[in-house]
Amino acid sequence: MTSLILTVRESIRYRGRSGQYSWLAHRISGLAILFFLVIHVWDTANAHFWPQAYAWSIALFKNPLFGIGEIGVMAAVLYHAFNGIRITLLDFKPEWWRHQRTSSLITWGLFLIIFVPIAVLMFSHMISHCSEMAAAGGSCLRIPAFSDFAQYAR
Amino acid sequence: MASITSNTPGKVTVRRVKLERSYERYLWLFMRLSGVAMLILAVGHMVIQHVLNSSTNLTLQFVAAQWNNWGWKAFDIALLWMAIPHGIRGLFNILSDYVHNGGARRVLAIVLGLFVVATVIWATIAIVLFDPAAIP
Ligand code: HEM
Repeated sequence: MTSLILTVRESIRYRGRSGQYSWLAHRISGLAILFFLVIHVWDTANAHFWPQAYAWSIALFKNPLFGIGEIGVMAAVLYHAFNGIRITLLDFKPEWWRHQRTSSLITWGLFLIIFVPIAVLMFSHMISHCSEMAAAGGSCLRIPAFSDFAQYAR
Repeated sequence: MASITSNTPGKVTVRRVKLERSYERYLWLFMRLSGVAMLILAVGHMVIQHVLNSSTNLTLQFVAAQWNNWGWKAFDIALLWMAIPHGIRGLFNILSDYVHNGGARRVLAIVLGLFVVATVIWATIAIVLFDPAAIP
């Protein structure tokens, strides 16, 4: 526990510059994806094992609170994927280690160029879903009832 | 493998060495190979399912239409087999930075290993056996 507190504090205080920020972002994004993925995989398996629970959960995930989380997962996957390729290239090409700083900046740049338009698109899907629900007299914030999906009960 | 020598700052000397085989090394390699595969599989999945399609109009009928096709089933199984072991191995690497006791580490490895096997088997069964005709 003390080592965890030490890590969190030193991760912020330690001035390792670009390489350290890439390492931290890679670690946090990896953990974030994993947290989401474990839920996602067990939930999706319910499409076969328990269709009613699956149908209810995907209705729940249309809630903007989950929508925001989904945009976060998108950011995590894109950054982690690009930086993972950078790690792999540098592991096999020690000659390129002198480009540590440049390569991490390129990675951040590429991530922003690709993520920003995608985030705008995902956000607009969310908004139009909510206005459709509102136009139909409902609300995208309402938590769906499990019994609404009784037609999928096995 | 390489070192930065003090009299040539910024220059990297590369010396190739032959390493002995060990299962740690294969896991190290797996992290990189699965990473390259997932650049296509995971980023492709995110773009196809979460941008081109959207969770805001996802239904069980949409899943049934996609899993009516063995190509989509194979794509999802391949991603599953890469992502769960990669993610859990990554988690083990992170925990190893904080857990130094050999016994505790071994318990962690066994628990996480069992979790990988259970998750991959359970989800693979679901994808393979999913029957689109059973969805009303
Ligand atoms: C999308 C393509 C991906 C690429 C290119 C990639 C690449 C990498 C690489 C090269 C490493 C370092 C491995 C090592 O140090 O031995 C890593 C670590 C990690 N990855 Fe990925 N990965 C990808 C997807 C994922 C996914 C989907 C997850 C979650 C399920 C994930 C979770 C992790 C975790 C938790 C770590 C450990 C981080 C650390 O040690 O600080 N990765 N990844």
